[in-house]
Amino acid sequence: MGSETQNGGGFDVLLRPHLDRLYRLAYRLTLSKPEAEDLFQDVLAKAFDRLQELVSIEEPGSWLCRVMYNHFIDKRRRFARRQLVAVDEAHLPGQSIDNLAGDSDPALDAERRQNAVLLEKLLARLSEEHRLVLLLHDVEGYKLSEIQNVTGTPIGTLKSRLHRARARLREMLDADGTFYLPASCKPVREEETDDMPAAQ
Amino acid sequence: MTCQQLNDELDDYIDGLCPDAKLLDRHVATCDDCRQRVDREQRLRAALADYAVASMPQPDPAFFDRALATAVQARNTRHHNRGWLKGFGSAIAAGLVIWFVASNWASSPTMPDVATPQVTMALEDPRTINLVFSSATNLDDATLTVSLPPGIELHGFRGQREISWVTSLREGRNVLPLKLVALSPQGGELLATLRHHDDDKTFRLKVTVTQAAS
Repeated sequence: MGSETQNGGGFDVLLRPHLDRLYRLAYRLTLSKPEAEDLFQDVLAKAFDRLQELVSIEEPGSWLCRVMYNHFIDKRRRFARRQLVAVDEAHLPGQSIDNLAGDSDPALDAERRQNAVLLEKLLARLSEEHRLVLLLHDVEGYKLSEIQNVTGTPIGTLKSRLHRARARLREMLDADGTFYLPASCKPVREEETDDMPAAQ
Repeated sequence: MTCQQLNDELDDYIDGLCPDAKLLDRHVATCDDCRQRVDREQRLRAALADYAVASMPQPDPAFFDRALATAVQARNTRHHNRGWLKGFGSAIAAGLVIWFVASNWASSPTMPDVATPQVTMALEDPRTINLVFSSATNLDDATLTVSLPPGIELHGFRGQREISWVTSLREGRNVLPLKLVALSPQGGELLATLRHHDDDKTFRLKVTVTQAAS
């Protein structure tokens, strides 16, 4: 067995526990499955190139997330351009809101799904920096210190962004007027993307 | 302790980071407005937790294995192009791969040589299908032709079985959402043909139609 194969095996063992979190971060950064997969793949390639360094790191998960974030920022122009495409994907009704575990109460299932669709729409209206901190903290469960580790943004700034992001989200939910209604009073939402976009 | 203080510290209170939590607890217990505010915020947090699951697309079951293997292989071959672009002969095929992402697919195929992708539609129930083109380079003046099976129509193109666009593809992913509706249960194969100069490539999507849900 060659050393390359052995390195590959060690790489697998070292990386495997962190892949799920890394994939989730990639998706929260790019908001698009194809782009998340590209970013994820890029970071794995970088990690393998720096395998010796990675082996000696105490918290490889944090290191990998930081590498991913920095790579995303470095390639921001590339990913930003592609996000224009991702927005179209996200606006397809129910495109990514299919993973809720079924509840014994179909009405509750429908309400949870409807809430998720609404949140997806409103989160897209937040600024990028507000959306990211809210996604990482309130959706993914990162602590502010972990977000600081990943992004390098001071905790005070993150806390302020999070506060403003939540306030803005509340405003939008209030304006929408359906989120806080009892399930029985909620209107049924129609599909929101009906137009055939031009292929340009 | 006042309503204004709760308002100021609501985030920390819900996050369990408020040093005055016990005082706020007592206030919330006696103030209907504040209790309602806290309830609403807790509902929002619960919805965001649901959203964490609902919004996260699941990768192809083999994706992690493939990504790890590709990272190792990429280093060894010094070739950082995406693996699934390998193996095509002509200029256009070398640069393009397509797959279809339907709204209820848990995962989308990421290799070009998988069996024909399939999608199931309910009769008379509009369904949006994404055609995702991945191009290694910018392509100008490409012609995309979508041929629909009998009984399947494209929203906005009533009665047309074949629709063509002249389009440009950018390097990277290009998404074309197609809103389809099945008017008969027959189903069949949807063909998407991309032509660029003298090259062309046709991609297939099997469409199965079920009876509309009652």
